[in-house]
Amino acid sequence: MNICKDHIGGLIFLLLSVAYGVYAGQIPLLPGDEFEPFHAQTVPNALALLCGGLSIALLLTAERGEGSTLKLHGYDFALVAKLLAQVVLFAFALQWVGFLLATLFFLIGGFWLLGERRIKTLLLASVPFSAGIWLILTQLLDIYLAPGALFNQLFGG
Amino acid sequence: MLDGIFTGLSTAVMPFNLMMVVVGCFAGTFIGMLPGLGPISAVALMIPITYGLDPSSGIILMAGVYYGAVFGGSTSSILINAPGCASTVVTSFDGYPLAQQKQAGKALALAAYSSFTGGTIGAIILLFAAPALASVSLSFQSSDYFALMILGLTAVAAFSGKGQVIKALIMTVFGLMIATVGTDTTSGTPRFTFGNIDLIDGISFLLLAMATFALTEVVMTVLKGQHKEKDEQMDMASLGSMKLSREEVKHIAPTVGRSSVFGFLVGVLPGAGATIASFLAYGLERNLASAKEKLKFGKGALRGLAAPESANNAASTGSFVPLLTLGIPGSGTTAIMLGALIAYGIQPGPRLFVDNPDVFWSVIISMYFGNLVLLILNLPLIPYISRLLVIPRPILIPLILFFSITGVYLVSFNSFDIHMMAIITVIAIALKLLEFPMAPMLLGFILGGIMENNLARALVISDGSFDFLWDRPLTLGIVVVAIVVLCIPPLLELVNKRRANKGQATDRGAEAAISEGEG
Repeated sequence: MNICKDHIGGLIFLLLSVAYGVYAGQIPLLPGDEFEPFHAQTVPNALALLCGGLSIALLLTAERGEGSTLKLHGYDFALVAKLLAQVVLFAFALQWVGFLLATLFFLIGGFWLLGERRIKTLLLASVPFSAGIWLILTQLLDIYLAPGALFNQLFGG
Repeated sequence: MLDGIFTGLSTAVMPFNLMMVVVGCFAGTFIGMLPGLGPISAVALMIPITYGLDPSSGIILMAGVYYGAVFGGSTSSILINAPGCASTVVTSFDGYPLAQQKQAGKALALAAYSSFTGGTIGAIILLFAAPALASVSLSFQSSDYFALMILGLTAVAAFSGKGQVIKALIMTVFGLMIATVGTDTTSGTPRFTFGNIDLIDGISFLLLAMATFALTEVVMTVLKGQHKEKDEQMDMASLGSMKLSREEVKHIAPTVGRSSVFGFLVGVLPGAGATIASFLAYGLERNLASAKEKLKFGKGALRGLAAPESANNAASTGSFVPLLTLGIPGSGTTAIMLGALIAYGIQPGPRLFVDNPDVFWSVIISMYFGNLVLLILNLPLIPYISRLLVIPRPILIPLILFFSITGVYLVSFNSFDIHMMAIITVIAIALKLLEFPMAPMLLGFILGGIMENNLARALVISDGSFDFLWDRPLTLGIVVVAIVVLCIPPLLELVNKRRANKGQATDRGAEAAISEGEG
């Protein structure tokens, strides 16, 4: 049997509905809630059943044509992984080095990952933009942006 | 109604709101021109900006971006045969051939005039239809609301395309599941938070919308390697005249009128939206054309360009009817606007007309202004706006990524939200590769909380019985319509399959008879 996109999707959602249903049963109820027509578990239980039923329906009615199999050739997963890793790093950088430097690193890293190698372009596209955004946020819109834990530790908060 | 129109007019003509229309139209046109980014992404990118504005200005800005993005999508369809969004795919059928015949200017002008007429006719119908529907829906009770939510969710799934109904329903349920994360509003107990304090308030709408529509769409272009592709250079010198002759105007006028009304009606249906409207209007116009004219379709027929352009703009306007009057979004884009309105503390639906008449009417009035801005400002500036596309993709993509991420961060100032965005993006990419539609998920997420509250209220009132679903004729009527809407696509598919099988059997029978005869 060929495994197609609908089979994979159906299986994923079937597993999700089982896990969701198990956790739905663990939602704490208030005393006496079990006698009420509606409580915190009502909708989650119904959704788990509904999702399970629909996943089974998808598995049963899955299209098995030629174009229905999952083909991952030609996709640049490595680059996407690097970009998303950079997004996560940006979140950490915000905490440690502050908004301005984190933005600068994020943009230069992003341009570099996507193939821009000219130092002049890298700097011209990132430095004025980062400084401009930082100035607009802090000076024009009066938004407080924390300087970053690293600066606080080095120079005192 | 006149009072309302004046209220809306006075709000919409405020200099700041007029500026919002202009800025929205420009920003929307630019984002809409970028292949891969459509109106949903454009409106999602605007949400963080609107958080700092008052509700009327925020929604006016979003409506302007919506129109601009549809218009921008048409421009790139005509000039470089790269539709910015699904609703302008049909525009490229006849728009691009016209551009190849050195009539790009005429095609752009025709698209703008048709969009303007479609949007204007749509806005006029909306002016009368929305208050009428809103006054009827004022009598709605919680059971009716619950049924209405069911109708909205099923309609979106039903119109999601061939073979996609079950997938769209699963995604709707998935959205409802995500909506249950956080503290339960009725009992105050935490659900699916796994002890994480950052999940106590649930997943924010802004985060989900930005991750699934802005971040994911941009990352998908990188995944497909589109960032390496160079945009086809637009030859602005060979744009040609932007004028239409009197004969041409006479020729397309009935088409524009027909397609506008038709597009509006399709747009009103929850879930149908501008894409279906443009395809149906194109098909309708080709069927109505004479045999001689039919041959021109696909080779640069003016009617073939005018029909989808009028229809998609009228449908965009039409999709505001269910949003403003019933609180049910007609499309993915209006779903995002619904989320933004809820974030403002405004509940779209029948009460909007009574409680926030300024928002209700100013949106309707500003739609007309939006169309006007597109026609008199954007059209002449197209050669200049399209130059912005010259910015290389390796520079543009990180900038859009940055705006998506900081848009969320600057609202919550919590870096956990950025981690969540990355996780949701990974899930969304996997689901997109498996061809699961995203819009029903967002719709389910937005309507989830309201639906649960109405169900709770209706169940408590009816003492735990589901009788409320058929006690009131109105509730029963809506439930029946929801069931019919849900059953039609699978039934149609079944009938078509049977017909195809029968056809094949007849062909085989005929072939056998012929071969026997030959033998």
